Amino acid sequence: MDLQTPPQPVPDADSAGFWAATAAGELRLCRCADCRRWHQPPLERCPACGGATGFELVSGCGRIKSFIVVRHPAVPGYLEDLPYVVAIVDLDEQEGLRLPGRLLDADPARVDVGRAVRAEIVDLPGGDFRVVAFRLAGPAP
Amino acid sequence: MKRRAVLVGIGRTAYSRESGRSTLAMAAEACRAALDDAGLSAAAVDGIANFQVMDSVMGASVAHAVGIDELAWNLDLVGGGNFATSVVANTAMAIEAGACEAALVFRSLNGRSGRRFGRADGAVRVSGENQFAAPHGYLTPPQWMAMWAREHQSKYGSSCEDLGRIAVTQREHAKANGNALARRALDLEGYLAGRWINEPLRVYDCAFECDGAVALLLTTHERARDLRQLPVRLLGHAESTGHGGSWVSWPTFTSMYSAHAAPRLWARTGLGPDDVDVACMYDCFTYTVMVTLEEFGFCERGGVGRFFAEGRATYGGDVVVNPHGGLLSEGYIHGLNHHYEAALQLRGQAGSRQVRDAMIALVTAGAGPYGGAIIYSREA
Repeated sequence: MDLQTPPQPVPDADSAGFWAATAAGELRLCRCADCRRWHQPPLERCPACGGATGFELVSGCGRIKSFIVVRHPAVPGYLEDLPYVVAIVDLDEQEGLRLPGRLLDADPARVDVGRAVRAEIVDLPGGDFRVVAFRLAGPAP
Repeated sequence: MKRRAVLVGIGRTAYSRESGRSTLAMAAEACRAALDDAGLSAAAVDGIANFQVMDSVMGASVAHAVGIDELAWNLDLVGGGNFATSVVANTAMAIEAGACEAALVFRSLNGRSGRRFGRADGAVRVSGENQFAAPHGYLTPPQWMAMWAREHQSKYGSSCEDLGRIAVTQREHAKANGNALARRALDLEGYLAGRWINEPLRVYDCAFECDGAVALLLTTHERARDLRQLPVRLLGHAESTGHGGSWVSWPTFTSMYSAHAAPRLWARTGLGPDDVDVACMYDCFTYTVMVTLEEFGFCERGGVGRFFAEGRATYGGDVVVNPHGGLLSEGYIHGLNHHYEAALQLRGQAGSRQVRDAMIALVTAGAGPYGGAIIYSREA
């Protein structure tokens, strides 16, 4: 088994727009064309109103809802980065619109719930995918 | 009179770190033990149920292995510990609906020597909702649980010491259980010295992975009269599945299925937390015990650390939580061992760890957005 390569995503018909956007260096999330609600993970139809969805640009700005410091190598990849921080980020666009992502170059001791972050599109080792990671934005509150 | 299902037999294998056996062989041994316990012949069994994550054997194969070649009812559920109470409740409903007369329920796994839940070694390509998180190395239950526990600490002021008191109390209970795999003394200092898995969770916050099988035997109350053991009644069951069953994108890290299942359970049974003598709380992680104890009403939000520190979760307190040591210290038979313990306690057969005058036992299952609970009672 290759311990150095992180898991690679398998896009499907619902998520293809997300991965096409990151490949182009953009963060686009699923949004209902009718009621304008955002949805992550993406869906073909809006669960609230049944409307058709598409992928639209988001700012990538948000706050840390929660985070962990990964110290035990149970998932392949990033072994040289241990310990590393994974955060769940509440994006500014809509309450409850969230993305998971690594927090790049972050000292675990300086990370906290509520800290502002911004998204950054980075290459995913081991393939052609690009993924959305985050970086602390601004000083600690 | 309405047909009523009761629990009449329990069986298990030895628990180990490396069984060297097939899940079929272990399931069959546990089922035979449950039949022997009840004094019922295999020929009288016409139903079987199990849950698994494609890491085990199907029910029909196990039935065949113990000499049951025709089944009136067969349920194979694919899923995790969230099914550990609903698989039993569904079996009871099948018996009460007349779909079968007597049914075995089993869980058999090589959870340490075979497929381990806390690892994602083989996860090279990931589809579904995990495709967004897995590339960041975020893919396993101990990571999700740590993510939720962090928010609880931030929101309610709970602490690692609070989680530690759960682990320490359950370990203390396990010392009186010869079948428990983790019996070495553990105090709070030792807990805090445990290695980090994913902060804020340490190694002692995680279930003790193991190999083994447990089986339960249910039949009608009428048939139970001729059997060997005091039947254990199922007073009620409730479950909840929220947010598409997603552990990854669900919104409320500091709440679990229990926010919905608990009021349902208390309404259906007319009981409350004060009535419970033994609480076998699903404990894949200490954090599950914390949130479900809060939501089943045993203590207030953020009060679990104090609840344990004051001795309210052990002998002589309000309720004995996981007297067998739970998944944390007895072993991770995916929650079906909680039913085994509840039956032992209600039958008065728990030996040196017997909870005095145990009449009511709560068994919970699952974590996060989905799970359930059963109330068992000693036959009055």
